[in-house]
Amino acid sequence: MNRVIHLLRLTLLLFVFLALGQPLYAQDASTVTADQVNEVARELWCPLCSGVRLDGCELKACDQMKDEIAIKLAAGDDTESIKSYFVTQYGPQVLGEPPRSGFNLLAWILPVAVLLGGGLFVLTRGRSMMQDIRPAPVASSERPVPDDDYARRLDEELARHD
Amino acid sequence: MIFHIGSLLLVIALVVSFFGTVVGYWGGRTRSANLAASSFHAVYAVAGLVLAAAVILWYGLLADQFQLAYVWNHSERALPLFYKFSALWGGQAGSLLFWTLLLSGYSVAVALTFRTRQAALMPFVNATLLITSFFFLVLLVFSVHPFEQYEFRPADGQGLNPLLQNYWMVIHPIMLYMGWVGLTVPFAFAVASLLSKKLGNNWVRIVRRWTLIPWMFLSAGIIMGSQWAYMELGWGGYWAWDPVENASFLPWLTATAFLHSIIIQERRGMLKVWNMVLVWLTYVLVILGTFTTRSGILESVHSFAQSDVGPYFLGFLILIIFSFIWLLFDRMPLLRSESAMDSVLSREAAFLANNWLFTGIAFAVLWGTFFPMFSEIITGQRISVAAPWFNKVTGPLFLLLFVMMGIGPLLGWRRTSANKLREQFTWPLLLSLLFALVYWLLVSKQFYPMMGLTACLFVTATIVQEFLRGVLARRAATGENPFTATWQLMRRNGQRYGGYIVHLGIVLIGAAVIGNQFYVQTTNVTLAQGESADLAGYRFTYNGLSAEHQDNRVEYRAYVSIFADDGARLLRTVSPQRNVYDKNPDMPTSEVGIYVLPSEDLYVVLNGWSENSATFSIFVNPLTLWLWVGGVLIVLGTLIALWPHPRRKTVPAPAGVPVRA
Amino acid sequence: MTEMTRLDEQPAVSHAPAEDVLTPEKAAHQRRMAMWRLIIVGVLLAFVAFLVLGLQRQNVSQQRASGMAPDFEFTTFDGEAISLADLAGQGVVLNFWASWCDPCRAEADLLEQTWRREQNNGITFIGLDYLDQEHAALKYMAEYDITYPNGADIQSQAARSYGIKGVPETFFISPDGKIQSQVIGPIVSQADLDRRLDEIRP
Repeated sequence: MNRVIHLLRLTLLLFVFLALGQPLYAQDASTVTADQVNEVARELWCPLCSGVRLDGCELKACDQMKDEIAIKLAAGDDTESIKSYFVTQYGPQVLGEPPRSGFNLLAWILPVAVLLGGGLFVLTRGRSMMQDIRPAPVASSERPVPDDDYARRLDEELARHD
Repeated sequence: MIFHIGSLLLVIALVVSFFGTVVGYWGGRTRSANLAASSFHAVYAVAGLVLAAAVILWYGLLADQFQLAYVWNHSERALPLFYKFSALWGGQAGSLLFWTLLLSGYSVAVALTFRTRQAALMPFVNATLLITSFFFLVLLVFSVHPFEQYEFRPADGQGLNPLLQNYWMVIHPIMLYMGWVGLTVPFAFAVASLLSKKLGNNWVRIVRRWTLIPWMFLSAGIIMGSQWAYMELGWGGYWAWDPVENASFLPWLTATAFLHSIIIQERRGMLKVWNMVLVWLTYVLVILGTFTTRSGILESVHSFAQSDVGPYFLGFLILIIFSFIWLLFDRMPLLRSESAMDSVLSREAAFLANNWLFTGIAFAVLWGTFFPMFSEIITGQRISVAAPWFNKVTGPLFLLLFVMMGIGPLLGWRRTSANKLREQFTWPLLLSLLFALVYWLLVSKQFYPMMGLTACLFVTATIVQEFLRGVLARRAATGENPFTATWQLMRRNGQRYGGYIVHLGIVLIGAAVIGNQFYVQTTNVTLAQGESADLAGYRFTYNGLSAEHQDNRVEYRAYVSIFADDGARLLRTVSPQRNVYDKNPDMPTSEVGIYVLPSEDLYVVLNGWSENSATFSIFVNPLTLWLWVGGVLIVLGTLIALWPHPRRKTVPAPAGVPVRA
Repeated sequence: MTEMTRLDEQPAVSHAPAEDVLTPEKAAHQRRMAMWRLIIVGVLLAFVAFLVLGLQRQNVSQQRASGMAPDFEFTTFDGEAISLADLAGQGVVLNFWASWCDPCRAEADLLEQTWRREQNNGITFIGLDYLDQEHAALKYMAEYDITYPNGADIQSQAARSYGIKGVPETFFISPDGKIQSQVIGPIVSQADLDRRLDEIRP
C-alpha cells in the first residue's frame, strides 16, 4: 500500500497554495472560518494517508474534505454528526482509532488485559518470593539513623554503586 | 570498474563474515585460541571491507557517477555537497550499507576493548556480531545492490527526497542507527554468556555499559527525529505515533526497562532470566523495526520505497527469535535467583513495577502498531490506529511511570523503614500537593495535565532533595565548597547522579509533552500584506514574501513580525518558508518560522500564498523548548554515568545496616 | 510479552540437583513450565505467521481482482441503486476515479464520449467514486458533463474487493461476469479503449 501512497503523493496531490485563488469554500459556507473547520478536522484522519490528521494534511482530497466540513457546519451540523458522516462515507479509518465493537474491540481490550495479567503475575510472584524469605539480617532496620552518620554511610552506599 | 570492485568487496565481506561466525562459535565451543583469534581477524577484515565499499559509494555520490542506479535515484548535480554526502543513508541500499558499516564499527570497538579480556565470551560475541553483519551483507549482495549500474551514464540524477534535505535529517539517522545498531552488542554478550555458561555478574557489568552507549544515541536520535518533524513537517507537532517512529521507540522502551532491571541483578542477583529476555526483546525489536520500515509491511509516511527485502528479514527474525528462545530454555536451570524480595516497600519492588510498566507500554505500542495489519487480515476492513488510541492507552501508563520515577529512587534496597519513608517523602509530597492545589485553583481544572505536571514536580523535588542531601553530606565530610561538592558527587558517583540527571531530562520532556498535548492554541488565517492576526496575546503581522533560487530549489519566504503586548512591542520577525525543489516540484517542503520563549514557542507555518496575501497556520506551543533541553540533559546524564570514575576501595557494607537510597 | 516473566525465578526446589526423585509437586511444576513454554512459542509463532500474511498482502499485482468480477452495489448520485448482478448480459466498464485525482481528468472526456457512442450497444459504463467528497465530485461531473451512472464507493468496499491501488483504474467486465482486462492509470487512447470494448461486447 505504500507504493500507492507514494504514487498518490507524486501524481495526485495539489497543495493548497497551488490551488489558492480559487474560492476555498462553496458559497453558502463562506461564513465558516478556517478555525471552525479545523476544530472539526482535528478529530478526523486523512483516509488516504497513514496517521496524518486532517487539519495538518495538504492533499487536495483533504482540502475538499475540509470544504465539505465547512458546508456541513454552515448547514448547522455539529462535530459528532460530521464525524459520523465521514465514517459512513470512508469507514472507521478516518477516526484514528479502532471502533469499539466487534474484532476491533480487541485493540482496546488486549493491552489492558495483558497489563493487568502482567501486574497480577508480578504481584503473585513477588508475594511468593517474599514468603520463602530467609531470616533476613535486618534486625536493625528500624533503628533511626543519626544524621551525622549520613556522610559516612553515603560514601559506603555510593561506593557499592560503583 | 571501481564499482565492480565495490560489489566484489561486499561479496568478500559476506564470505568472511560467514567464516568468522562459524569460527567464532566453533572456537568458543572448543576453547581453541587459534579459532578465537581468527574470529577477531574476521571482525577486523569485515569492517575494513565494508568501510572500503562505503567509501566507494561515497565517491560515486560525491563525483556524480550517475551510471550508478543508487546515485541516480538519490542525488543530482545541483545537490549541495553536504547532502551528497548524507545521501549515503538517504535510500534503501545505501542506508543498509551504512547500517552494516556502523555495525562493523561497533564490532571492532568491542573486539579492541576486549581483545585481552573475557576470553571465554569473546569468540561467541564476535560470532554473534558477525552473523548480524552477515545478514545485512546478504541483503546487500542478493537483494538491494548498492552498486547496480546502468549501461550508460545519465546526465543528471533524480535528486534526493526533499524531506531529507535538512540538516536534522543528516544527523538524526546517524544517531538513530548508532543506537539501533549498538543494541546488537548487549545481545551478543547475552548470547555469549548463555553459550559459554558464564552467567555471573561479569557480563552484567559489561552489558550495562554497552547498553547505555547505544541507549544514549537512540534517545538523542528519537529527540532529533521529533525536532525534525517539528521544524519541517509544519503541523505543529513532533510525534505522530507513526509506525516508523514507533519502530525506534519500541527498543528504547525495552532497553530502558533493561537498564533498570539489570541494576537488581547486579545488586541482588535477581531477575536473571527476565534480563536475558529484555536484551533479546530489544534486539528483536530493532530487527523487527528495520523490517517494518523497509519492507512496507505497515503503512507509514516515512517508509523507504518498497523492495523485496521482506522475506530475508522474516527469515532472520525467525532465526533470532527461536534460536534464542531455545537457548534460553536450555540454560534456565543456570539462571536461578540468588535472593528473594524482602518487602513491597523496597527498591527491588519499585524496579519490578518499573519493568512492568515499561514492558506494558512496549506491548501496547507494539500492539497498536501492528493492529491495523491484524485487523485487515482478519476482518478485511481498514482501520487506523493513530494518536488518539496511543494517547488514551499509553497516557495513563506514562503517568504512573512518572509517579514511580519519583518514588523508586527514594526507597531503600530490601526494605524501607517508616522513619525513612517520612524523611524521604515529606517535602516532595507537600510541595506536590501545594502545586496541585494552586494549579487547580488558578490555572486549569483539567485532570490529566494537572496530575501530569504534579507528577513532574514531584519527581523534580525528589531529585533536588537527593542532590541537596548528597552535596550536604559531602560538604560535611570533606568541607568542599558547594560547586566542588556537586562536581565530586557526580564524578565519583556518576551512575547514580547521572541517572538522576537523565530522570530530570525525562521530566522536562514530560512537561513539554503535557503542554503540547493540552494547551496548544492555534489559528489558521489568510492575511493581506500589512494585515495582522491575534493569538494568545501576540500579534502576527504579514509583511511580504520573497522568492529566491538556491542550489536546487526555490525558497519562498514570508516575513511575519511578532508583537507582544497587543502589538506594542516587536519581539522578532520570523520567516516561515516553503522550498519547491526543481526535481520534485510537487513535493514542496516547509520550514516553519519559530520564536522560542521559555514559556512557549510561537510557531508560524506558511501554507500558501497568492498575489498579495498569504495563508498561515499559527501555533502557540507551550513549554516546547524544554523538550529539547530534556533531550540534552538525557545525553549529559548518560555521559556522566558512563564517565570512568576514579577507582576507590570498596567499603564492604556491614550486614544488617539498612542501605540508604 | 508479560507471559515471559513467568519463566523467571521458578521455585528453587524444581532444579535442586539433590532431589532426583520426581515428587508429584515437581511433576506438576514441570508440566506447568512445559505449558508456559508452549504458550510462549505459540504466541511467537502466531506473530510470525501474521507477518508472513502481511508480507504477502504486499504483492500488489496478486491482490488485484482477476477472473470472475466481484459483485458490488452502489447508489448513484441520482439515487438509483445498481449492482453488478443487475448488469449481467452486458459488457461493463468499471472505472474508479476521484475528483481530487488529476490523472483522472486525462480520461474523463474520453470515457464520457465513448459511453455516449456505446450506450445502446449493450455496454454500460460505471463510475465508482473513490474516497471522494460529494460536492467536489458533482462539480467534477458537471465540468466534464458526465452522464453515465456514477456513485460513491461507500467505505471503499468495491475498491477493496477489486484490489485497486490508486485511481484511476478501469476494469473491463464481459457479459458473463469475467474481468477481461484492466487498465492502471488513465486511458488515453481511443484505439486502446475500443480494442478493450470489443472484448466485452455481448
